[in-house]
Amino acid sequence: MHNATESHISHILFGLDPVWVAVAILLAIYGVIMMEKFNRAVLSLLGGGLMILSGVLTQERAVAGIDFNTIGLLTGMMVIVAISQKTGVFQYVAIRSAKLVKGNPWGILVMLSVVTAVFSAFLDNVTTVLLIVPVTLLITDALGIKPYPFLFSQIVSSNIGGTATLIGDPPNIMIGSQAHLSFYDFLVNLTPIIPLIMLMTFLILWVMFGRGMQASDEARALVMQFDEREAIKDVPLLRKSLSVLAMVILGFTVSHAIHLEPATIAMFGAAALLLLQTWGQPMHDKDHAYEGVMAEVEWTTIFFFVGLFIIITGVEHVGVISMLAKKTLELTGGDFNATAAAILWISAIASAFIDNIPFVATMIPMIKSMAPTFGGAHELVPLWWALALGACLGGNGSLIGASANLIVAGFSQRAGHPISFLRFTKHAFMLMLLSIAVSHVYLYFRYLS
Amino acid sequence: MLAERVMKKSPVTVSCEEHVHRALEVMRQHNFRMLPVVDGEGHVRGLFFDVYVIEKLVPEYITDGHLDAVSYAPDIGVLHTHYVSLMNKRVEELMDTDPLLVKPGTSLLSVASALISHDRHECALVVDKENRLLGLITARDVLDWLWQLKDEVGDA
Repeated sequence: MHNATESHISHILFGLDPVWVAVAILLAIYGVIMMEKFNRAVLSLLGGGLMILSGVLTQERAVAGIDFNTIGLLTGMMVIVAISQKTGVFQYVAIRSAKLVKGNPWGILVMLSVVTAVFSAFLDNVTTVLLIVPVTLLITDALGIKPYPFLFSQIVSSNIGGTATLIGDPPNIMIGSQAHLSFYDFLVNLTPIIPLIMLMTFLILWVMFGRGMQASDEARALVMQFDEREAIKDVPLLRKSLSVLAMVILGFTVSHAIHLEPATIAMFGAAALLLLQTWGQPMHDKDHAYEGVMAEVEWTTIFFFVGLFIIITGVEHVGVISMLAKKTLELTGGDFNATAAAILWISAIASAFIDNIPFVATMIPMIKSMAPTFGGAHELVPLWWALALGACLGGNGSLIGASANLIVAGFSQRAGHPISFLRFTKHAFMLMLLSIAVSHVYLYFRYLS
Repeated sequence: MLAERVMKKSPVTVSCEEHVHRALEVMRQHNFRMLPVVDGEGHVRGLFFDVYVIEKLVPEYITDGHLDAVSYAPDIGVLHTHYVSLMNKRVEELMDTDPLLVKPGTSLLSVASALISHDRHECALVVDKENRLLGLITARDVLDWLWQLKDEVGDA
């Protein structure tokens, strides 16, 4: 790790100690982000700029700190999803699953939650809930029952499902890229625990909501009248989207073996789908469609990451991160099991209340710098799973734990069924702690004992 | 041509305090699609328009979500439930509070281009300096005016 006294940090502003300047920028930006009064992308870019302007980082070092694997993978997947969601395939699957259980309310809750979890494992969680929640509200309106249990279950499922794969949740994308863990590694190490956590969640939801759930025969018949085939709007586009999506996911699973980063595969898939989407149409229509897709890419998130990576590079560069790692190791006595447990639980509690993206961005270099203590980078792998499980599942801890939670709450409020922060947190925090306990047991028996 | 020559003078209005069911009743009686909303002194407060009522009847999760169409859904009865709950609301809760306002001296060309540039502006309200309603111009009024011009040309 770099030391503050290194000669290349010579032109620091006003001769201030670069350690304090970097820490001050980080804390100020994180603090203002948490106030939620300003756009987080603007703030993180501002912080990144300050790291360079104050002389903590040179421009070259700042740019080198931006993890383009994360940026590329996010952007590529956003493009693919923006095109695929127009096909209506997600609504099709949601309605089909509701009809499979013959309109039984508890059955629908379980089916829609499983659909949410599976989609979340491959799409980002916000997109998933934006697609599933409106259909859910249509169905609960048809059933004439309160949507809260359904929406609650979908929030929880989106965060659990997102934990399952490398591309399910931004923290996993960052961890995979920076710890050099492949899509396949996530599939083998993280995915197996997810069905178990889902099962436990359903057991608890059954006790909380499922037992008392009822709908009249007429209402159930109404659900059976939904015609999922009507949801598919563009069959040729559907074929193209599904083929590209399948190729990309296949590409992810073999990416490590063919020495390609998932970002390359996602970007290539995005370009291919953009090309196929408007194949054979006039140039004007192609441009129009292309610009429509580009407008749906969440540039705010992308620029948030760019600024964030520079801020983290700044504090890492002045040696603060490795110092924090040293302190943590002192607290855990350098014991591997205790360190893994601390990472899991602290990540979960922190992610329940603060944005898990900056948290994980800070934790990654910290865990990396523990490599010498534990005998090399390879030995750290269980710590990465602890971080991924903690940060992703932690999003379930409160209504502000993940962006998807807030999106669902917004929908619910507009539909006339507001979800209160305390009511949600009371139910969700306990569920989250249980899922972390299950994860702890899993980590312990698989990697630590 | 100026707006004051084309506008319908003293249109039927509704008070912003009125209940929605009363406004709908007036619209049914006169076969109108819209009613200017005024306060006690005749100042324009907004525009009540049948499509805005429909907008409130369709659940927001359909209109602001990622559902471009719900052709796969049967009539689940929400329209009627929402309709019943809307009837006793006041007109001011449903009206467009930012209708297209023009001056009597505005040109017809300007009115016509404003009508097509705002998709929510189905009609222009002609108001004086104190924002009191003088008349209204719909797309239909513009076409009627031009139709009548054609007749004049034909007769000549």
